[in-house]
Amino acid sequence: MDAVVSQAPLRIALIGVPNCGKTALFNRLTGSRQKVANYPGVTVERREGERVAADGRPQRVLDLPGTYSLTPTTLDEAITRDVLLGRVANAPAPELVVCVVDAVHLPIGLRLALDVKRLGLPMVLALNRMDVAVRRGVHIDIPRLSAELGVPVLPTIAVKRGGADALIEAIESSRWSGLRSVSEPRWLEPTAEDAEQTQSDLRGVLAAVGYGAPQENLWFARMDALLLHPVAGLVVLGMVLFIMFQAVFSWAEAPMALIDGGMAQFGAWTAAHLPEGPLSSLLVNGVIGGAGAVLVFLPQILILFLFILALEDSGYLPRAAYLLDRMMGGVGLSGRAFIPLLSSFACAIPGIMAARTIPSWRDRLTTIMIAPLMTCSARLPVYALLISALIPARGVGPFNLQGLVLFVLYAAGILAALIVAWVMKHFAGKRQYSPLMLELPDYQWPHAGNLLLGLWERVKIFLSRVGGIILALMIVLWFLSSYPAPPLGATGPPIQYSFAGKLGALLEYIFAPIGFNWQISIALVPGLAAREVAVSALGTVYAMSAGGDDVAGRLQPVIASTWSLATGCSLLAWYVFAPQCLSTLAVVKRETNSWRYPIIMAAYLFALAYMASFFTYRAIAGWG
Amino acid sequence: MCKSLSGAIIVNANPSHLHPRYSNRILRAVKSPESKANSLALAELRRGETGLVAGLAEVAGFDDGSGNAAVLMARLRDLGFVAGARCQVIARMWPAGDPMVVRIGGSTFALRRAEAAAVRVARIGEQPVPRVQLAPKDTSAALA
Repeated sequence: MDAVVSQAPLRIALIGVPNCGKTALFNRLTGSRQKVANYPGVTVERREGERVAADGRPQRVLDLPGTYSLTPTTLDEAITRDVLLGRVANAPAPELVVCVVDAVHLPIGLRLALDVKRLGLPMVLALNRMDVAVRRGVHIDIPRLSAELGVPVLPTIAVKRGGADALIEAIESSRWSGLRSVSEPRWLEPTAEDAEQTQSDLRGVLAAVGYGAPQENLWFARMDALLLHPVAGLVVLGMVLFIMFQAVFSWAEAPMALIDGGMAQFGAWTAAHLPEGPLSSLLVNGVIGGAGAVLVFLPQILILFLFILALEDSGYLPRAAYLLDRMMGGVGLSGRAFIPLLSSFACAIPGIMAARTIPSWRDRLTTIMIAPLMTCSARLPVYALLISALIPARGVGPFNLQGLVLFVLYAAGILAALIVAWVMKHFAGKRQYSPLMLELPDYQWPHAGNLLLGLWERVKIFLSRVGGIILALMIVLWFLSSYPAPPLGATGPPIQYSFAGKLGALLEYIFAPIGFNWQISIALVPGLAAREVAVSALGTVYAMSAGGDDVAGRLQPVIASTWSLATGCSLLAWYVFAPQCLSTLAVVKRETNSWRYPIIMAAYLFALAYMASFFTYRAIAGWG
Repeated sequence: MCKSLSGAIIVNANPSHLHPRYSNRILRAVKSPESKANSLALAELRRGETGLVAGLAEVAGFDDGSGNAAVLMARLRDLGFVAGARCQVIARMWPAGDPMVVRIGGSTFALRRAEAAAVRVARIGEQPVPRVQLAPKDTSAALA
């Protein structure tokens, strides 16, 4: 190792108000060399990336959570301040601060920059979105701004290749490494007078650099007139959500058929090329059958995430939060809860983490507790399988019956969430006022690169789940359902004599009242770890009961011919509520920093699931 | 200092959203008792109306005795609701116009009534905001 490489990296922190393009700039600076982790003890996401300066010196760039001010109202904002002050363990104060300011909305960003500058840390200012600013007639005298602030000011365009070159050159300058032992940053909670002072400084600087507010974009104003309209806005929101869920099913059909066929062929090919025996059975039934049954749903999950990422990027989501604030307030939720809850339709885990942006602890807790009731994409495999097997595809008026059932399942989750939130509002003590104060950013076209990066992250997570937890559980389940081998002269399917068969028979006592057979009971055991595993588990269980030769993944006809409608609907009702996802419970534990809430969550959701299944089963069995 | 911004809906006709000339007048105005009648809460402005911020005032809405109100006031100030800033209400939700959307300093914020009640403003006029319609109205004469 030569001396240059072993040098400690220069610690750089990016700070800026939300929606200033800070994260895009961070991506531009660090490329794919990023790590996402948490700050010790808290659950604020810590995005850090490595880069190497042109002369070989390493730099470590930290993307701090966006904030309007160093006086925090949320956990994220408190972390931003504490990192700058060097108060966070394992995160020493940065040696260089890059304050990112949206040139179009200069005042709000510049106010934060003035606050940050007072900390006394070495700082450069990145004047981002310069292209948009120029287009919208914003004038900024950059040399003058630099002189007024006493820091370098670099114009950037984070979303353009090469748009951060000036900034890169500035942060690679050797002058920063000479400032290693800077004085301790100081910060005092600003008084009203301090705030007045900052505002008058801000006014002075804005006047000096000749800043003029951006020309209003007529299209933005027209879109706001429509999208924020009390009636038309809600209609559009309803349509957007409807199209999103339609697309999840219609667009995904072709790729799903492709994956399904591919896995089936692969299974048959493997079976044909391996000598019959335990290895062949493990690979075909356990691995290919189990993983394949889940892999099929990758297209649906990606389409759902594509919509959510695109809506987020375009600036629409905060507007939806505005439209729903009043309605959600009726059950004790903030409009801000809309974004976490919408993400929960893809997966409760990012949803629960997104609840950090809700200022009040009580509102945040309510949002976390109901997030698992939003129908996440892991339920889709189960819903899709059962609906296609048991519900006839006939029309009901203009609608398809299968689609209607799916809609009812989504609606049941939402309705239950509203009721739970309402109950929590009335029985959970005094509430702190939780502000809305939400910025509605300028509209923009979703950036293809950002979307692809976000989707790629989801693919990686999903595949590592299929390849990790799900695969391991499938192999364990295959073992449990294959051994011990049936005694000679056995008449039933071999699985009935195995460990899994006996476990299922035992569990049947609990689940018989809600109509589950022993195959479902077995499948629910690994399904506790992750919902979609139940599908692969059913695949494995039925493949094993059939004698082992049949390729798994042909579950649908088996279910259609052997389950009653009541059993199927009962299982659907179970899945609306049951907290069958260890990762969700683990995240709740981490986010609330206590075992209390994940335990309460699991208990109340299991109770709801059992009740819902019981009534569904009895109603349909009694009626049909 | 006023630039002509033709063909656009003009919310901030000033080169800066902070107009020093007005800001002084408003600061003085708030202090004199007879002009207090002219200042009203931002929450009372209708859609399309423009106001000049006079200052922030404590309201009962979000004071729960936990010091929370002070933090919220500080945040309103940090978002740009300071004396002399010009703001316009561009949308109000039904019922009771709560929450509402306000443009200030080139940025747009959704505020609840209780939050907007803490901002004292002087009503300075009304400018057309686009309506929901298919044929766009000519809005170039928005402001002289």
